[in-house]
Amino acid sequence: MNSEWYLNIENILFTAAMLLYLGAMVLYFLFLVMKRELFARVAGWVIGAGFLFHTGAMVVRGIGAGRLPLTNQYEFATSFAWGICLCFLVFLWKYRFQALGAFVTPVIFLLIGYAAMQSREVRELMPALRSNWLAIHVSTAIISYGAFGVSFAVSLMFLLRRRMQGNSFWEEHIPQEQKLDLISYRAASLGFLFLTFVIVTGAIWAERAWGSYWAWDPKETWSLITWIIYAIYLHLRLSRGWKGKAAAVFAVAGFICVIFTYIGVNTFIPSVHSYA
Amino acid sequence: MMNLLKKTVRFLRSMKCAVLLLIILVLACTAGSLIPQGEILSYYTANYPETAAGLIMFLGLDDVFHCVWFVILTLFLCLNLLLCNVMHFPRLIGQMKSGFAPEKCVRGGGTVYLVRETEPVFAGMGFHRVQETVSDGKTLRYARRNSAGIWGAWLCHLGMLVIIAGFGLGQLLQTEYAVYGVAGQTKQIGGTGYELTIDDFQILLREDDTVEQYQADITVTETGTKKTASAVTRVNAPASLFGMKFYQNSTGWAAGVSVWKGEEKIQEELLCAGEYLKTEGKEELILMLRSFYPDYIQDEAGNPATATSSLKNPAYLYALYYNDDVLGMNVLHDGEKITVDDYTYVFHDPKPYTLIQVKKDPFQWLAAFGGLLVVAALILAFYVRPEEMWAVRTESGVWAVSGRCRKAGAMFEEKLAERCIKAGGTLKPEEISGEKRADQCAEMEERKKDEQ
Repeated sequence: MNSEWYLNIENILFTAAMLLYLGAMVLYFLFLVMKRELFARVAGWVIGAGFLFHTGAMVVRGIGAGRLPLTNQYEFATSFAWGICLCFLVFLWKYRFQALGAFVTPVIFLLIGYAAMQSREVRELMPALRSNWLAIHVSTAIISYGAFGVSFAVSLMFLLRRRMQGNSFWEEHIPQEQKLDLISYRAASLGFLFLTFVIVTGAIWAERAWGSYWAWDPKETWSLITWIIYAIYLHLRLSRGWKGKAAAVFAVAGFICVIFTYIGVNTFIPSVHSYA
Repeated sequence: MMNLLKKTVRFLRSMKCAVLLLIILVLACTAGSLIPQGEILSYYTANYPETAAGLIMFLGLDDVFHCVWFVILTLFLCLNLLLCNVMHFPRLIGQMKSGFAPEKCVRGGGTVYLVRETEPVFAGMGFHRVQETVSDGKTLRYARRNSAGIWGAWLCHLGMLVIIAGFGLGQLLQTEYAVYGVAGQTKQIGGTGYELTIDDFQILLREDDTVEQYQADITVTETGTKKTASAVTRVNAPASLFGMKFYQNSTGWAAGVSVWKGEEKIQEELLCAGEYLKTEGKEELILMLRSFYPDYIQDEAGNPATATSSLKNPAYLYALYYNDDVLGMNVLHDGEKITVDDYTYVFHDPKPYTLIQVKKDPFQWLAAFGGLLVVAALILAFYVRPEEMWAVRTESGVWAVSGRCRKAGAMFEEKLAERCIKAGGTLKPEEISGEKRADQCAEMEERKKDEQ
């Protein structure tokens, strides 16, 4: 089995995952529009199947490349979507409210769509990336970004729920504001903890690879900006006047920063992190 | 005056001040990442409108992370963290020391449930060490867990302070040098009293000509005592010798250059790409090796480039100056000569050079400790949630159970309701007042029926 074979299998699994995510997104949309719970239940299974295919695609790529598939723009974009899907499924299992999918699946689909537009060529690692820290640093980033994605979706729901007051469907299927706030907080705190871990492990790795643990590289700086925005969010949740809506706005802003840190910095700003 | 001072201190230790400082920090970092840093004025005037360029230079936005106001901002953040921690320390110590306070608990509780047996509820909620006491003639059972969680935010602030201190002290006191050369060369490491010998330098290539690793064998000699130590330094694996760290930082090409005056060889030097040599006896005549191409080709635009990193078709891009005037610039292949008047220049023996970064940061450990402290503190803050539960024996013999969790009240209450229902409990009658409580009661009844 040569690398071409692995790439073909990966392509099939990846495409299947993308289509299933698209299907889940449509079903969740129908759930909101048609107000029939059956759509949400089916969507839950469809996204679960998509996640399995997606995992399969990443495993096959990893086997074919002989390393963890976490090094270039395509690999990280697909992992990012996978991380959000994983966090979504965990939160869905834990808090059991299907409507969350209607807000998370578009994010997953956009990210996997972005991944599909990147080059899937398997390249050998450059010396700076040949480190055990790569696996720790990037896999924690995937969990962190995934959790922030869920927090973003829940915060959006929080902001929309206020506008939908009096709508019996929303009242029935979307948890109360207090609970939404708590779920968003749980997701953001998980993301924040992992982002801290990402920054710390990144600093340790940077010291070994580049001789400096913090050099204000744009990627480092934007990770710090994201960290600070979520720190503000966590502080705002503690103060009465700002709790709720303002905190939710910061959670949404935080995720925009996450996306910019990942895509914007690599695309628009020269950085030592621009590997692909 | 004292009033003003008190007000200032109160503001400086407040969360409002922290959020304000963090927002300014976000704006500063955004500017620092979007505006190219460390350029000269002409760069900004060429790339930005005149007013914007002037503003960038005036506000120090050309070097945000080292300018005075950024340092002051960071110091204010440190002060805020410090004052916040100092203010909260006695309260946290008090909370840790405080034992069972029945009246306080019973007064300040959430929803109260009535159960016959408390054990399954306490155990189901994860409380395994339950204390019992009598207060005002009433029997009370009480338990709490995860008290250490109250220290999470405090330790996180401390960790941040430690990181900033470690980073700041490191920036002030660290020493850093760059030594470059080819295999066999020995060079002084700045003013350290140590010499660095590059014993060997290898670029390990894969079959597809991509670089697998850069590797330098080095020997460091203490010039006074002649004590030596050797090590190998690679990318991602720096060497530590004599308390300094040696990083395989980057590489490039160097070449020998012979200078002839007539038939006599007057000079022999090694030039790294980007370096120049002044001709002996005619110092205004300067030769610069601008670039080196190991496998020379011309790209689509006709510019010099290299096809591979192997020495298949070496070519040297040189520039020759007379004072500040360019006499010529061209690409030379092996064996080709440059001749000016009596002087002839020949490039030969190209070889890769290595740049070794030598660094000593006495406070790196402090920043690392701070980072680990922040991670540990966040685990404490988010996942070690202080919880309290208590039960009061009523006159009818049943127990009135309640509890609280400051960090996740709603979830705690939900879980408590579930456990109480499982233990055959009901809501306390006084609790069934108001629409919300009535809903809760109906929900509980429904759940009970479902379970039956």
